[in-house]
Amino acid sequence: MSQFRSILRAKLRIARHQVASVRHESKLKIGVITVSALGLWVGAYVFFAEGFRWISNFDRTLGAEYGFADILMVRLLGLFALSVFLLLIFSNVLVSFSTLYRSHEVAYLLQAPISFRQFFHARYIECLVFSSWALAFLGSPLLLAYGLHTGASPLFYVALLVFYLPFIIVPAALGSLITLFLTRIFPRLKTRTMFLLGAVAVTLLFLYVRSVLARTEIRDDALLPAFFLDATARVQSPFLPSHWAAQGVLALAKANVARGSYYFLLLLANAMMLLWLAGEVAQRVFYPGWSALHGQDRQRIKPEGRGVLGQLDTALRFVCNPERALTIKDVKLFWRDPTQWSQFVIFFGIMAIYFANLRNTSRYYEQEFWRSWIACLNVGAVTLILATLTSRFVFPLISLEGRRFWILGLAPLSLRRLLWQKFWLSVATTSSFTVLLAVLSGLMLKLEPIYFWLTVYSVVITNFGLSGLAVGLGALYPTFTEDNPARIVSGLGGTLNLLLSVGYIALVVAAQTVILQWRVLERFTSPGVFWVALAVAVVFITCLSAFCTFAPMRMGLRNLERMEF
Amino acid sequence: MIVTEALTKRFGEKTAVDALDLRIEPGTFFCFLGPNGAGKTTTIKMLTGLLKPTAGRAVLGGIDIQRDPVAAKRLLGYVPDAPFLYDKLTGREFMRFVAGLYQMPEGEYRARCDSLLALFEVDKVADQLIEDYSHGMRQKLSFAACFLHEPRIVIVDEPWVGLDPKNIRFVKNFLKEKTRNEGLTVFMSTHTLSIAEEIADRIGIIHNGRLLHLGTIAEIKALQDRPGTLEDVFLELTQATDEAAAV
Repeated sequence: MSQFRSILRAKLRIARHQVASVRHESKLKIGVITVSALGLWVGAYVFFAEGFRWISNFDRTLGAEYGFADILMVRLLGLFALSVFLLLIFSNVLVSFSTLYRSHEVAYLLQAPISFRQFFHARYIECLVFSSWALAFLGSPLLLAYGLHTGASPLFYVALLVFYLPFIIVPAALGSLITLFLTRIFPRLKTRTMFLLGAVAVTLLFLYVRSVLARTEIRDDALLPAFFLDATARVQSPFLPSHWAAQGVLALAKANVARGSYYFLLLLANAMMLLWLAGEVAQRVFYPGWSALHGQDRQRIKPEGRGVLGQLDTALRFVCNPERALTIKDVKLFWRDPTQWSQFVIFFGIMAIYFANLRNTSRYYEQEFWRSWIACLNVGAVTLILATLTSRFVFPLISLEGRRFWILGLAPLSLRRLLWQKFWLSVATTSSFTVLLAVLSGLMLKLEPIYFWLTVYSVVITNFGLSGLAVGLGALYPTFTEDNPARIVSGLGGTLNLLLSVGYIALVVAAQTVILQWRVLERFTSPGVFWVALAVAVVFITCLSAFCTFAPMRMGLRNLERMEF
Repeated sequence: MIVTEALTKRFGEKTAVDALDLRIEPGTFFCFLGPNGAGKTTTIKMLTGLLKPTAGRAVLGGIDIQRDPVAAKRLLGYVPDAPFLYDKLTGREFMRFVAGLYQMPEGEYRARCDSLLALFEVDKVADQLIEDYSHGMRQKLSFAACFLHEPRIVIVDEPWVGLDPKNIRFVKNFLKEKTRNEGLTVFMSTHTLSIAEEIADRIGIIHNGRLLHLGTIAEIKALQDRPGTLEDVFLELTQATDEAAAV
């Protein structure tokens, strides 16, 4: 039996055992996950179906003469494919680093008489599955909605299945190749050089994004359809694998087998070539990289009380122990793990892009109707950034205690205090960024006082709700065997947390949007009625946030108390 | 003092620990022996509150670990067989973290931390990240952290893995002195029978979840007709139980 097949067979066995072990989980837990997952899938399907229906209406208002709605749908699918493609490359860089270099199995496999090529291919399959299963879950409602809305040929559905594998192979291979090269280069660089290179890369990226945004700025006189077509033309490059996948699937939707087959074979050939290339590169580059990574000078001295982290104990004097000790530990572990803070830098990038986009000079901004929309969308944007933060950094906090849970389990500390410490740590850190973001964006947009304070209140209150969801669900669905936060987040619990967070934000934004829009459209009979309605919306948002805080925290605590370590 | 009353743990159909009754007086060095899968680690996990018993109870220093876990854990120190620690903390930072968990006053922590780090010979690497430590150094740091809050009861699970002969001797003597001079109660699970024979005041032999024998070294050895080492007696007792079970 080949070594590759042996490893794969063992992995499949492990997967089967994990699936079988679901039988031992609480039925309530299984029920909650199943119903939530199905509910979210159906919700996403309805959302996308309505979205396509809305786009179809454009033909009655704008650009009917050249089938603007059809073109826009095709362009949006192209944009979706490109976004997914880029995200998959990024997630594969992270996942392949942990799978190829940091996993505990690696040392065991490397002492076996196995070629680096075979080793790489066996680990590559794991990266592929880990990084792309969410695409199948989240992409399927979008594509199904498109197929049903446009009355696509049955070949469209076959194409979705057939194109899926080569489409995910390409970014996984590219991600692995990037990791192989980075790991070969970075351990040999001095820390100062690495930071310098990182700073140059981030600056160049920021300047590029700024230039793109400047070019695509909506000019008031420009026709909306023309703008959309111009802006989305960038995703149509014939050199992008995402373009081949999108074009192939769309061709088969119209039963154009020849064109669909051409794109499929193009994608498949490239996928196979990249897979082969990655194997060959791994054969030559993996071991020197592994060796350099594990052969670094390990004398990292961190004297007590030195540096910013050393001052934490003094800075947090006002917090009682054991909460202070836990907080200092969490903060130090976070900052000393490059995989954590490197993603935190990306979060700052998102914030920077958002700020670069904030303008209040448009002609549309003179109208109350648009100002109201912009204020509500601003709340949505800031809270979505917050949800990204809590999903990525707060959700894994409990799981990251992992095999060290015995230290906390033996300490004279109740699990309730542990869980609430994580909650307050999350609220304190995320609110310092997001409340500032809310205030600055409100000032930059010159929001009227009512919009401004509603924005700030919504962001403050969602800090509690989103932290409660992330900490509570993190305790309800912990992954104690996994040390890599990226893999913890990409599990079922992490995905559920992200989706519930988005659902919660949608309800918060919807509650205030309805009231503010009705005010603009003069649906309220008197100002008094508006204020009552606004108060009801605020009470609703507050109650919803309280529910999102306490319910998951309670469920998470009960789960931890039931668990045996 | 450690007391267990009909302490039982079942995992589905399998009974890992079956109605274990123990009474270990203060100042006793107790060794818990048994083959792999006998129920030693499950017992330790129930004693430390990491596992909930299916039946029975475990009482540490007069406090039921399930009824008042926080109070019971204040009396307890634990050294695991696999020292999973926070890799991104330094040894000294880990000690401070543990002091925080046990809510030790700053002065008390400062007074003990450096001497314990020096005692277990991790003072020279105390400002290095734990991820750079060898297995033995991690184990020694676990011991230092375990004694930081001056526990009255120490539970040690197979502590010799990774320790060099010099450190094994040091840890043996250290634990022994603590029991003799300070009234510390030590509950140690081990496979190293020669060490158990050398230092234990009392021994318990567990097999297939049931306590086979409990007594002093002399009492256990007397169970065999001919003279021999503890190893001989242990093997004979556990083998006889297996044969009886097979019949």
